[in-house]
Amino acid sequence: GDSWGIFTFLCAALCNLPALPALNCTEELGAGQSIQKTYDLTRYLEHQLRTLAGTYLNYLGPPFNEPDFNPPRLARAERVPSATVDLDLWRGLTDNARLAANYRAYSRLLCYLRALDGQAGTAELRHRLGHFCSSLQGLVLSIAGVMSSLGYPLPAGPSAPPGTPGTPGAPNDFLKKMDDFWLLKELQTWLWRSAKDFNRLKKKVPPAVVTLRLEARGF
Amino acid sequence: ESHTQYERVGADVTMKCGSMDWDAAVTWTANGTDIDESHLNGSYLILKNVDLTQSGQYSCYEGSSWHLKYQTSLRVGTPPKEPVLMCRSNNYPKGFYCSWHLPTPTYIPNSFNISVIHGTSEMVCEKDVFLKNRCHIRYLQLFSTVKYKVTLTVTNALGKNSTTLTFDEFAIVKPDPPESVVAKPVPNNPRRLEVSWQNPSSWPDPESFPLKFFLRYRPLILDQWQHVELSDGTSHTITDAYAGKEYIIQVAAKDNDIGTWSDWSVAVHATPWTEEPKHLTTEAQVTETTSASTSSFMPPPTTKIYDKGAVVGSGAVAVCWTAGLVLAAYGVLFI
Repeated sequence: GDSWGIFTFLCAALCNLPALPALNCTEELGAGQSIQKTYDLTRYLEHQLRTLAGTYLNYLGPPFNEPDFNPPRLARAERVPSATVDLDLWRGLTDNARLAANYRAYSRLLCYLRALDGQAGTAELRHRLGHFCSSLQGLVLSIAGVMSSLGYPLPAGPSAPPGTPGTPGAPNDFLKKMDDFWLLKELQTWLWRSAKDFNRLKKKVPPAVVTLRLEARGF
Repeated sequence: ESHTQYERVGADVTMKCGSMDWDAAVTWTANGTDIDESHLNGSYLILKNVDLTQSGQYSCYEGSSWHLKYQTSLRVGTPPKEPVLMCRSNNYPKGFYCSWHLPTPTYIPNSFNISVIHGTSEMVCEKDVFLKNRCHIRYLQLFSTVKYKVTLTVTNALGKNSTTLTFDEFAIVKPDPPESVVAKPVPNNPRRLEVSWQNPSSWPDPESFPLKFFLRYRPLILDQWQHVELSDGTSHTITDAYAGKEYIIQVAAKDNDIGTWSDWSVAVHATPWTEEPKHLTTEAQVTETTSASTSSFMPPPTTKIYDKGAVVGSGAVAVCWTAGLVLAAYGVLFI
């Protein structure tokens, strides 16, 4: 409860600080512990998303807020990264591929969510979305931390964020709402999947202790 | 030749004696017993407002020759009511099963047809080997955003009915209860009970899909349960048992992240270890023993959470450090 509030606040605050005092520190960073924290963060976000999605879908109005709403997937919705994967393929993913898939997905989902934030109707909705985006950014950074502590390179950032010229916007209001609906659905599914991804990583990565000596100048 | 005829409860039934004319002289029997002429309209047999007891073999004989002219089996029943359908994944991530039944019997044969649609594709539900009202689906993909739509149609000679369930992959996950629950006293510890259990055997991959557990226990003579939630491990030691009292203990399981709790396991009974009773010589010693046991009955505490993974107190400090380090590492990569 409280420790997660601190964690996300720190992520948000630290992201916005222009410079940090130089850090000379030696710290024992267990990759296993980072994975545990990342796992915990996905669970926290999943809980947060339930409230956010409920509020947002009510804002979109029917049929989007109906529990049985089960529309077919339109081709345009493929832009949002899907968590769906063949079972054997998922099992066989290397640690690097598993982490990279999560990193790429949340980076892109974060971009789309930020675009949503810019257009959302009510102040309450914008506030909730803003808070969620900060937490989601924390998750992206946490995954990056795990990858670097295991020595994996970070995947390249998202190619074209939405809203830039060239990316097709929705031709009408209803299709725009459909896009929003699928975005929230994919986000929810990714958070469920990540819990399983990080469970698997927890078991496979031994809780070896890595000693890190960091000398960071200003950011 | 023989026929079968299905009719609704409460209907009026008219049976014709095959190709015989209306004014022919015939005798009808029901299960071998002659039917009174008052039920006849010419050669037709009229049964008004039929009930279930009137099901049986009806035969029509030509008047004088006793030639069997027509025979039919009357089956009185009802059209099916809306069936009850349930789908559940107790073997995630392998797949799920759906099981169904009728809320009230129809008294006549029914056939069931189940269809499972996922997005645009129809999936095959394989019939269970032993249970006739159950079938199994294997997941082809995991972490699907598209819902599953299962429609069950039940049909009989008098009508049909159907029901549909729509759900997400995650919503129907419910493991079977834990197995082999064992509770043992701990020697020389009059307030302890050691409980252990196993993952349900139907859960295929507890490594990647770990289960968490909920344990409940109470002394037989009290109604209020105590609860312990365990995020890890398949054993737990109860440390606040009332000395000398027999306990009833049950365990439930749930996927760590998704779905719902299993049903409670089979209950096990255990009594904490007690010292060998000493020889009671004086009356004072006897009264002392009785008053001690009655005064130990105080309202027990409610829920405790045992989470072997996290240590909350020092966690806050560790989190601050980790946050700084994660961001530092991230920053270092980009400098």
